[in-house]
Amino acid sequence: MDRQTEFVLRTIEERDIRFVRLWFTDVLGMLKSVSVAPAELESAFNEGIGFDGSAIEGFARVHESDMLAKPDPSTFALLPWRGDGPGVARMFCDIMMPDGSASYADPRHVLKRTLNKAADMGFTFYTHPEIEFFLFKEQPRRGERPQPVDEVGYFDHAPNGAGQDFRRQAITQLEQMGISVEYSHHEGAPGQQEIDLRYADALTTADNIMTFRLIVKEVALEQGSYATFMPKPFEEHPGSGMHTHVSLFEGDRNAFFDASGQYHLSKAGRSFIAGLLLHAPEITAVTNQWVNSYKRLIGGGEAPAYVCWGHNNRSALIRVPMYKPNKGTSTRVEIRSIDAACNPYLAFAVVLAAGLKGIEEGYELPAGAEDDVWALTEAERHSLGIDPLPTSLSRAIAAMEDSELVAETLGEHVFDFFLRNKRAEWAAYRRQVTEFELNRYLPVL
Amino acid sequence: MPTPGELARAGVLDTRSALAALSQLPEDVAHAAAAALGRAADPDAALAGLAALCAAHAQFAAQAADARFTAALMAVLGASPALTDHLMRHPKDAALLHTAGEQEWDPAQVRGQLRDAVRGEASRSASVAKMRAGYRRWLIGIVARDVVVGQPIHVTWRQLSDLADAALAAALDIACAQHPADSGAGKAPAVVALGKCGAQELNYVSDVDVVFVVGDDAGHCDIEHATRIAGTLMEICSEASVEGELWTVDANLRPEGRRGALVRTLSSFTDYYQRWAQPWEFQALLKARVVCGDTVVGEQFVQQTRPFVWTAGRNPGYIAQARHLRQRAETEIDGDAAREIKLGPGGLRDVEFSVQLLQLVHGCDDESLRVPGTLQGLTALAAGGYIGRDDAAALAETYTFLRAIEHRLQLRRLQRQHTLPTAPDDLRWLGRGLGFEGDPAQQLLDRWRSVAVDARRRHEKLFYRPLLDVYAGLEPGAARLSATAARERYEALGFADPDAATRHVQALAQGVSRRAVIQRTLLPVILLWLSQSPQPDAGLLAFRRISEALGESHWYLRTLRDESAAAERLITVLGSSRWLTELLMRSPEAVAMLADDEQLQPRASAALHEEFTSAAGRHDDPAQAALSIRALRRRELLRIGVADLLGLLDVDAVGRALSDVMAATIDSTLRCAVAAWEVEQGRTFPARLSVIGLGRLGGAELGYGSDADVVFVHEPAGVDEPMATAAVLAAIADVRAWLAAPSPEPVIDIDADLRPEGRNGPLVRTLESYAAYFEQWSASWEAQAMLRARHIAGDEGLGARWESMIASVRWPASGIDDAGVREIRRIKARVESERLPRGVDPAAHLKLGPGGLSDVEWTAQLLQLRNAGCDARLRGTSTLAVLREAVTAGLITEADERALTGAWRACTNLRNRLVLLTGVASDLFPSDVSNLRALAHVMRAQSPQELREEHLRLRRRARAVMERVFYGRA
Repeated sequence: MDRQTEFVLRTIEERDIRFVRLWFTDVLGMLKSVSVAPAELESAFNEGIGFDGSAIEGFARVHESDMLAKPDPSTFALLPWRGDGPGVARMFCDIMMPDGSASYADPRHVLKRTLNKAADMGFTFYTHPEIEFFLFKEQPRRGERPQPVDEVGYFDHAPNGAGQDFRRQAITQLEQMGISVEYSHHEGAPGQQEIDLRYADALTTADNIMTFRLIVKEVALEQGSYATFMPKPFEEHPGSGMHTHVSLFEGDRNAFFDASGQYHLSKAGRSFIAGLLLHAPEITAVTNQWVNSYKRLIGGGEAPAYVCWGHNNRSALIRVPMYKPNKGTSTRVEIRSIDAACNPYLAFAVVLAAGLKGIEEGYELPAGAEDDVWALTEAERHSLGIDPLPTSLSRAIAAMEDSELVAETLGEHVFDFFLRNKRAEWAAYRRQVTEFELNRYLPVL
Repeated sequence: MPTPGELARAGVLDTRSALAALSQLPEDVAHAAAAALGRAADPDAALAGLAALCAAHAQFAAQAADARFTAALMAVLGASPALTDHLMRHPKDAALLHTAGEQEWDPAQVRGQLRDAVRGEASRSASVAKMRAGYRRWLIGIVARDVVVGQPIHVTWRQLSDLADAALAAALDIACAQHPADSGAGKAPAVVALGKCGAQELNYVSDVDVVFVVGDDAGHCDIEHATRIAGTLMEICSEASVEGELWTVDANLRPEGRRGALVRTLSSFTDYYQRWAQPWEFQALLKARVVCGDTVVGEQFVQQTRPFVWTAGRNPGYIAQARHLRQRAETEIDGDAAREIKLGPGGLRDVEFSVQLLQLVHGCDDESLRVPGTLQGLTALAAGGYIGRDDAAALAETYTFLRAIEHRLQLRRLQRQHTLPTAPDDLRWLGRGLGFEGDPAQQLLDRWRSVAVDARRRHEKLFYRPLLDVYAGLEPGAARLSATAARERYEALGFADPDAATRHVQALAQGVSRRAVIQRTLLPVILLWLSQSPQPDAGLLAFRRISEALGESHWYLRTLRDESAAAERLITVLGSSRWLTELLMRSPEAVAMLADDEQLQPRASAALHEEFTSAAGRHDDPAQAALSIRALRRRELLRIGVADLLGLLDVDAVGRALSDVMAATIDSTLRCAVAAWEVEQGRTFPARLSVIGLGRLGGAELGYGSDADVVFVHEPAGVDEPMATAAVLAAIADVRAWLAAPSPEPVIDIDADLRPEGRNGPLVRTLESYAAYFEQWSASWEAQAMLRARHIAGDEGLGARWESMIASVRWPASGIDDAGVREIRRIKARVESERLPRGVDPAAHLKLGPGGLSDVEWTAQLLQLRNAGCDARLRGTSTLAVLREAVTAGLITEADERALTGAWRACTNLRNRLVLLTGVASDLFPSDVSNLRALAHVMRAQSPQELREEHLRLRRRARAVMERVFYGRA
């Protein structure tokens, strides 16, 4: 038994922990949890906890449903919101097949595989997400318009702000679980908040995002409000994205940094961006996986709709932030399409794979976009070679279907399940008769 | 002055130069030198070195008058001419040789002196020069102890490790001085030695394996600082300089290898080992030892990594996995593997590896095995009964001998060197250095050969023999493998049921019969082969059964005794294939065919026909004749299956061979039926009859589990049609009954359901009847069913006429029309949704699922229906050939063809392998873990998951092409 496992077992004894939640994530990014009594934990570490994989979205088919969840002791943390009673702790799990090999259906394994590929090329992948979400006064009832907790805007300091209390409480709990927060502030729309996590390796960040989403929802419930990561709840206000800064390190050296390059970007950095751009349409179904995600991408403002990059250009899909002198380690690339309702494991995996492909194949970076892409005409964009991102889930699915890159990254099983699930979602969406249609057509037709 | 003859007898090669050198020396020195020639491995070089030293440094001549000093000097220079250069620069260091081997060796003193020497030097290069000069001085001391005093080799390598430790400590001092700690941060990292240095078994010149560790309190700057120190330390040891380089400091055993961070924190190490490391990475940690730097952190590192090391061996199948990697490494040796001392089979690395592996497997429970060194490991393993005592002693001796060779080779030029030289002079020098007398080169080679032969069997001895000794009578007092340890060993070898394995081994090894004696000798290697097969448990049982069936037959025992390739193949077959095992059980004597590659080639079609027919002719009873044909078929199936399993046949050749065998079987059985009819009726058979193969049989793409899809055509000969039909039906009924009759021989189902009008239509028709039918009813799907039709048995002329009759049906001159295309597409779409068995995952269905066999075949067939009328190239019956020609005809691209045939071959191969593996035909990609694992093994895939991934990928690509080419989707 290794030291970390011993530490976990000891802590459980010392802190009087009565339940341990074992967490994992389904293919669509929903958190799954199974509680075990501390007495069962040792065998869970050794053999894993058996469960019926066919009951989990995207995991297995009925006839091969036996799967094992094996906790990763390095992710052990106490849950901070359970009050004074006996403590509750959680660990993330790796999903295993009965023979002990990793399951290809486990999103965590998908990311690990891609990270291994990066490691083979000598790289470690770091990510830094800026997570946006809305805070409502209460859980909106069906058909009712949600009520934001406040009516202020970007960086506004609302007196007596419910949002402020909320952010303080949420950040305290995040820090208690060992998740460092860099910034937090009020975002542009009423009730919209943003909390930025400190950069960490992609696997840790993805685990952190899963924890983050739960904590935010829990704290909101505790305070009598309701939090949502839905990409675009209001037609007239900006949606919630998850701008993600990414960087590659070779050992201690930032592989994107080159003191002599334009914007201090190295060749690897430029090829990485070129990879992201070239493969942007085919990975969008993963980074923006819901029908609703595409309503945000139409919106203008902070959300990109066109495949281009720029230096400090907030309308571009990829932004290379201003270089700060003497901070060679901080050179990074910001991807602005991802939304907070994605499956972070899969999203990071496809983003990394697209970038690595660029490096592997030595893609050339096209010229950056200087203008506000929104302000250009269709013809201007065309002449600049700026293509649109998929404008709907349906188009994103079509782009993904032909993608060897995404198939290889997700693995055939997840690739196939994901496409089937998303086609079904699109089909269900198309059947809707919307308020828009009723309002517009009933009076005149 | 000695005579040239005396010099030659002392081993001098170039007597003229030697005389010249001696004549320049003072007389007393020359006398002493001549007397010491015999002690020098390379007397020519030793003498030249002495002459040069005396000429350059007057004090040498004075000392060299001392005969004992000169003898020591000659021995050292003869073993290591490279040291002459050092003595030229530092003549004083020779003073050591007066007292060589008599001073106590004190590691602390060595380390203290080297560190003192570099202290206070102004520049780095000066410090480095001091350090290296000091290193060489102590090295001369060790060489003297080695070649003059002849201390045991394990003492020498201990001293070399101490000296390396001292050099690392001094180099660390220099590096720290170059990178002073700033702003309170930045301690030196702990330097932890792994590998030979860690085990204190270092060579004269070999890489020193290390990792660099810092404490968990180290911040980012501390790590950067420590990384600079570590980098500098590595340069200091390996960069070239006047004082010669030392050795390479190799930090590649660190997590993530040469791409990983050079310095890590303690918890980053443990994190890695916990989350990412493969079991075999822990072998490197077995020998971890703190050398210098932050020793507290270093000790923590060693302590905290122990648990990883001593649980790694618990993984089932660990030995087989590790062996597999090791074998791959062996195949990557460049140059002459047979002369490799270190990396070759049976070389040093092999011994070290085997000992470590056993330590890891049994050390989980037995702490006495947790020792760092190879020799210590051997002793501990023998003491615990994990390996035979004699084996351990023999192995230790071999190991020591190989290490001694390595030492001498390296010492000569102080270079890394581990290949046995080929030049006679070099061999002679090496033999002399090792103390062989008489003909040193020949003696060395003889000894080397005996060691190499021994090495071949070493592995089995170590791993498997103790499993037999559990039951054997050993001399009293000798330790033996305990029952628990035996279980552990079986499990580590991949046996799922150690108790059953124990019973089988016991049964095979017991008794005094010749067979038992041979099997006792052979079992170790059989267990080795079985452990490399996917079903070791089943294989062992099968071997026991075969062995009991074949009993004492002479050739079988000989096959086993010689440990021939045939024996290995037999075990591979038994451990991999239930189907072939069953076939073998019915005629164990077929084991003989395994001996010969020639025998494993499929027989030509004509030879099959001849042999089958003549075997049938030896029986009067036609049912018996048919049985003898089926027995011959069984032998051919075995031949093809074994060749397939061993990788001697590709999937295309397997399909052709199986189809040939099927055709010959039906043809010769039909002859029996006709002959029987003629005997019974006393007249000539009143019709000609041809059997037309459809589907895979027609395409010559049959699998092991395929039925024979056929239609029959006949032609009355001199009688009216009803009479002819009656005779033909009787013959067909006989053929079908004989081929399907219950018997130990594999059954053949003749399936005629694809005939016109299906089961409701007449079983046989005349040529005219077929022509009329197709003229009247021909729907495009019926034409499609005939695309792969081919005469396979019976009357050849009639078959040929049937084929030309059907030509215009299946290859319509202007291609099928749009309505026909639509109909075929619709039928295919319906088949996709309806024919799949309920509850089956379509992606798992090899035949009907997306991208499966039927997708590819229908695509090829639609291309034929549309184009074969005007393009004769497309008129083949084999799917693969049609697709190939479709590329030539410009109908599909090369990439399309690759995608389609890739999936087709993969599915066909999987179906074949599934039959071989399980004995049961299946169209489903296996979902249960054990079958999948075994399948991955026989398909030589990296892992079951990887096999599935690769398979699904091929299928997805084929489906994409199919949707475009067959369905016409954009």
